[in-house]
Amino acid sequence: MLVLFSDTDCEVTPEIAKEYGCHVISMPYSIDGETVYPYEDFEVFDYKPYYDSLRAGTLPTTSAVSTEKYIEYFEPVFANGDDILYVHFSVKMSTTFNNMNKALEILKAKYPERKFYTIDTKGVTVLGLIIFREIAEMYKAGKSLREIKRWADEEVGKFTLYLFADDLKFFKRSGRVGGLAATMGTLLGIRPIIYINDDGQMVSIGKEKGRQKAINRLISYVDELGDNVKDHEVIIAHSDAEDIVEEIRNILIEKYGEDLKIETVLVNPTTGAHAGPSAVGVAFHAIHR
Amino acid sequence: MSSTINGVLFAEMIKAGARNLSENKQIVNELNVFPIPDGDTGDNMSMTIDSGFSAINGASGDESIESVSSSAAKGMLLGARGNSGVILSRIFAGISKGLSGVDEADVSSLGAALSSGVDEAYGAVSVPVEGTILTVYKDAVEYANSHIDEGISLEEYFDLFTDELKRSLDRTPSLLAVLREAGVVDSGGAGFVYIAEGMKNALNGSYADDYHHTDGTTAKKVDISSFNADSELKYGYCTEFLLQLLNSKTDTKNFDIDGLTAYLNAVGDSVVAFIEGTIVKVHVHTLAPGDVLNHCQQYGEFLTLKIENMTLQHNETIIRNRFEAPVKKPHKKYAIVSVASGEGIKNTFLSLGADCVVDGSQSMNPSASDFVKAFETLDAETILVFPNNGNIVLTAKQASELYKDADVRVIPSKTIGEGYSAISMLDTSSGDTEQIIADAIDAISGVVTGAVSKAVRDTEKDGVSVKAGDYIGFVGETIYTDSAKRRDAALELTSSLDAGSYDVVLLICGAEVPSEEGEALYKELSEKYKRTEFIMIDGGQPIFDYIIILE
Repeated sequence: MLVLFSDTDCEVTPEIAKEYGCHVISMPYSIDGETVYPYEDFEVFDYKPYYDSLRAGTLPTTSAVSTEKYIEYFEPVFANGDDILYVHFSVKMSTTFNNMNKALEILKAKYPERKFYTIDTKGVTVLGLIIFREIAEMYKAGKSLREIKRWADEEVGKFTLYLFADDLKFFKRSGRVGGLAATMGTLLGIRPIIYINDDGQMVSIGKEKGRQKAINRLISYVDELGDNVKDHEVIIAHSDAEDIVEEIRNILIEKYGEDLKIETVLVNPTTGAHAGPSAVGVAFHAIHR
Repeated sequence: MSSTINGVLFAEMIKAGARNLSENKQIVNELNVFPIPDGDTGDNMSMTIDSGFSAINGASGDESIESVSSSAAKGMLLGARGNSGVILSRIFAGISKGLSGVDEADVSSLGAALSSGVDEAYGAVSVPVEGTILTVYKDAVEYANSHIDEGISLEEYFDLFTDELKRSLDRTPSLLAVLREAGVVDSGGAGFVYIAEGMKNALNGSYADDYHHTDGTTAKKVDISSFNADSELKYGYCTEFLLQLLNSKTDTKNFDIDGLTAYLNAVGDSVVAFIEGTIVKVHVHTLAPGDVLNHCQQYGEFLTLKIENMTLQHNETIIRNRFEAPVKKPHKKYAIVSVASGEGIKNTFLSLGADCVVDGSQSMNPSASDFVKAFETLDAETILVFPNNGNIVLTAKQASELYKDADVRVIPSKTIGEGYSAISMLDTSSGDTEQIIADAIDAISGVVTGAVSKAVRDTEKDGVSVKAGDYIGFVGETIYTDSAKRRDAALELTSSLDAGSYDVVLLICGAEVPSEEGEALYKELSEKYKRTEFIMIDGGQPIFDYIIILE
């Protein structure tokens, strides 16, 4: 049997995992030396106090999952004689995958017959989720691994995420966004517009002054790049910016109609540690990223 | 009575002109159309002509008027501050051009030279405004020149010239509505009258022997008591000199400036060293200036030398018109120079991406030379300059013409808000300078900069009756509100400007505003205009208690 895995950086919560019979790897963050594993160390993400503490100046860090912990995730599945398909967040965004590969080497020696397949969503947060959901639906419908992999080869590059940050210091510190004006320390109402490229890396592609212009810019990407938007889901991600999400949601529903499948997702604390509070993004199906 | 003006006499005239303006500059400062304490025309012009006077200080007996006027003009071009200062410097630059090839000027050559000053000054401004120093000077030159064929003496010529200056000055309110409304004459024109009267006195034999130029609005005394017998040398000495390389001491053509820079970096910091021809300019902060001098003297001899104990400088709270960092910055295609006053605003510009912030706004106008010094700290192909003040745009342009090591472009931002707007959205990645400038100018057009300041006199303007001591809210020269309380003036101004219709509003609190007041106002505004994003900055700027930028 093929067992499906994903991770919290793809916004796969235990609740979503349950829908598809999926396992979840929890990607940790740390505040003041205390490491927290989302949905393992807590059941519900109490996001308000978390993002408020970021606003007040807390700078959480994120860390790799240890080799031992990866073994704990995978070994029971292999021991049971099952194989794994792991739909994960972008390899380019974390060194955690080095530890994962070490764990797999150890397990391969122990379970030489077992197979470990991966699909790199080349995304994070809702870009990971929007792809994960499509795959999980296929998985649930009993599609073969080959069909799923074929689909991923074709389609991963056709889901895209455009977002804007509200505070640059989180992105700057994490160093995970290319092209950010290196000198810019303060935002003062300026919102850098960021997308995730075909390599799975975040790249800054401009800036807008003020909330309204930033929202309009995100919508303009849906307009320009959107492809069969209504045949898929649109997912809006936010790190505690409900009013902005509401506005984007209303604009999209007005444009595409009430039957647009639209989901709102709160950015998990680990990804949120890089995006900072009040960031908002839209993931959708597009002609290209 | 003299039938000609030679170099020495012309130098005396400039000195006397500088002194007479210096003694009366406060009167000129107060000729301010706006009822807030930001009048600085007298200071600006005085510092400008002082730079000219310094440049010729010590004219020798056989120097021609051509040579003296040329030195004076160069000094003024570099030292020019404010619009009136720039125009003044261009008048003298024109006079100097007109005296080209002249050893001693008689009435007709002086008349021709003054006339050349008119052309140069009008050429300096893109849209000459009548009723300003331009008109005053032009009228007087035309009037005096129309009498030259009558065989008048130099003294008579200068009498006619100054008489018409005063008459034309009195006519300025009839040409310019803002002057008429404020009940004042043009300040730049008035400053020029004081200079001309001083010059006339010198021509008539009353020399200004005791005048020493001042540097700054008020003569600043260094408080030497801050370094005493128990002090410790912490900051070292700011050491600056020009070194003339000598063929007898070194290979002047292939001088190893990089080697010298490396030496200076080893014995000090904040090093600026560059070579022009065979002259090396050095700036270094060092604990042992004597070692530096001995080292450098092996290559040549010093032209000028200045060594200051920086512990004394540090105790002076503000070092006027010092550019931010004297260290040459790493090479860039584009560098940004912005003008600002107030630590908070300066830091804001630096964090927005400015490479260098030149100190100065209203009442603290930088000179063309301050800009040039700032440019010298940068290593860029193109320098984009944001003057952020209508009275500094011309100075920046003048500096851009004087500086040759980079393509300097002035984006005529007239307010802090325009500067913020343009710099924050600047994107130089295209590498297309014309497009970058066009985009910056475009960004400026959508921003409004309001301000709150204390009124210094009663006036009636734009339908608002202003009481001295009240706070007024205004945009440019239009007054919107008058209120006994600072906070109320800010609130009323935001309301008049319909703050709720803007996306982003920056509230920049001035040096006088207590932080609790600023924060309370910020909260009140954020709640009142929910859709607008308010950002508060502790600007620390003088004069303007609040600057409100709406975009």
